[in-house]
Amino acid sequence: MPSIQWIITIHCTNAVPWRYSQGDPSRTRGGDMPIKLMAASRRRPGLTRAEYQRYIEHYHGSIARNERLKIDRYVQNHVIDGAFGTLADETHKLVADRDAVVELSFPTFRDMIETLEPAVPSAASQDGKFFADERTNVIVMAEEEEVPVPTPLTGFNPGLGIIKGVGSLKVLHYIMRDDSVFREDYYDHFRDAHAKALAASPYAREQLRRCVMNKRCRLNDNDAAARKHFKMVDPPVYDMIVTHWYDTIEQAGAFRQYIEALQAQQPAFADWSRSFYLYTREVPIIRDTPKP
Amino acid sequence: MAAQTRELAVQLDYTAWLKSTKPKADRPPLDAEEAKRPFAKYYSEDFPKPDPAHVAKMDKPIDSSLMIHPEQLNDLLNPGDLAVEIGWGHLPNGAGFIANRMIYPHVTAEMVDWWFVWHTLEDLRYRIWYPPQHAGIMLSPRSRARILDDSIPLAQRNWGVTHHVTEDCNCGMENIDISFISPKDFGFDMSRWKEPFVSTFAGGYGWAVAVDKKDDSITAPALMCHIFRPHPGGGIEHRTRFWMGYRFSNGKPELTLPPGIKVPDAAVRGLAMHNVHEFTRWGDFLPRIYKEHGGKLLA
Repeated sequence: MPSIQWIITIHCTNAVPWRYSQGDPSRTRGGDMPIKLMAASRRRPGLTRAEYQRYIEHYHGSIARNERLKIDRYVQNHVIDGAFGTLADETHKLVADRDAVVELSFPTFRDMIETLEPAVPSAASQDGKFFADERTNVIVMAEEEEVPVPTPLTGFNPGLGIIKGVGSLKVLHYIMRDDSVFREDYYDHFRDAHAKALAASPYAREQLRRCVMNKRCRLNDNDAAARKHFKMVDPPVYDMIVTHWYDTIEQAGAFRQYIEALQAQQPAFADWSRSFYLYTREVPIIRDTPKP
Repeated sequence: MAAQTRELAVQLDYTAWLKSTKPKADRPPLDAEEAKRPFAKYYSEDFPKPDPAHVAKMDKPIDSSLMIHPEQLNDLLNPGDLAVEIGWGHLPNGAGFIANRMIYPHVTAEMVDWWFVWHTLEDLRYRIWYPPQHAGIMLSPRSRARILDDSIPLAQRNWGVTHHVTEDCNCGMENIDISFISPKDFGFDMSRWKEPFVSTFAGGYGWAVAVDKKDDSITAPALMCHIFRPHPGGGIEHRTRFWMGYRFSNGKPELTLPPGIKVPDAAVRGLAMHNVHEFTRWGDFLPRIYKEHGGKLLA
């Protein structure tokens, strides 16, 4: 993953006002909603996509398992295919290349900080430069909101393991907010547009098994030091990533039907030219067996 | 087609609003349209200064043992006073804490509910509240529609609405997004949500960042609680609590400070002092402006 150093640097380098004096680091009770770090990266120069994906799964993933600390869940989403912008664009308006999106979930923000900012720097925090082009990372700290779907997976589905309600094709849809839209309205507009788009897309309505809005947390606003650390220059800001699950890659056409309907919805709430979606294969690195 | 009212005409999109906050932060004189508004006189009137004894209580930090954590907010529904009703300081975990109490002999819960809806609709309404430090306010189009929806009781009108205010809490002009929520969502025990424990409430969570935002500016969260109950001597008692450094996560307060980090004294004291001044002014002029404009939102 594109490493966790960013959080470290947020608070060590950037947060001068909060560094006014030292307080008691005793913990307080947090919420039950996991907070996630979602990092989209592309491979460093010279690596093939297969080499990159092999490295992050088998080497970087192993490091994370060995240094789990307070990570609740860690999945890698290995990119199979994707599209950037719209058919109406003559050229790409953003980096049109992603090889993986990793998701690290924590019970609380404090747990995230304590994991990503350990007293002794972790091996994982040093590893990103060996596989990722870190200055083009897109990092979003997000919280989930489940969106009900008309036909969730309820029964046996071979190959999907022990987790219910997911499929083996996971689509990550990075939707850039239209600059003119207030953030609170943007989420409402998406909910409305999503419902209308599904209504207009019978194939997607039938095949979509699960949908989750990953809404950017405002804590993410304080990421200047991270951007500086990775030499990131004006990285795009995504206020939401929507995750869709379908049974298999065979249903990718259902998402295609859906997204065309979504982009046609009014009022406009997204900058579709700077939005993108990725068809991915989910690779669990840390995911505990659910307790009965 | 009916002419668009001022309350709708002032709507800006997000980009335009953000751009407008820099000139607003300089608190320019009222423009010609504003000067004609029926409540413009309140902008230039003299108003009372806070009681020096009250201000003195906000001078130095108090001991953390006297404070309540946000998880203890239901203590505010207990009869009587808490260990501290006026003061500020830091919780042991570094969060900023502010308590303030104001007594308003001539204010009612109806006035409070009306005010927290009415003042959102244009800059001048926010500026007259406390002209020295209040610069402007904006709603999103959807929030504006809810605020103007008369089918929703005034006490509930702000639930789910974000006020984008520009104000100076003694650390420079900031844009603060204050998202108001219901008392239930704030964590209050609704089985006790009645008088004499409580008359009304306005609160939620906020994110504040300097108007003159730089790349490395901090966007700081806080929980805000204004809870009102009848005062035995008549009128209403207003108790404010802030927990700076906290946000809500899945309906529960969550500390966002990294280990060892403390909210700066200047930020906590500054907000505490601002609170005393703005609500001293508010208690003085709310009964008068309510008499003129209360019961309606358009002017």
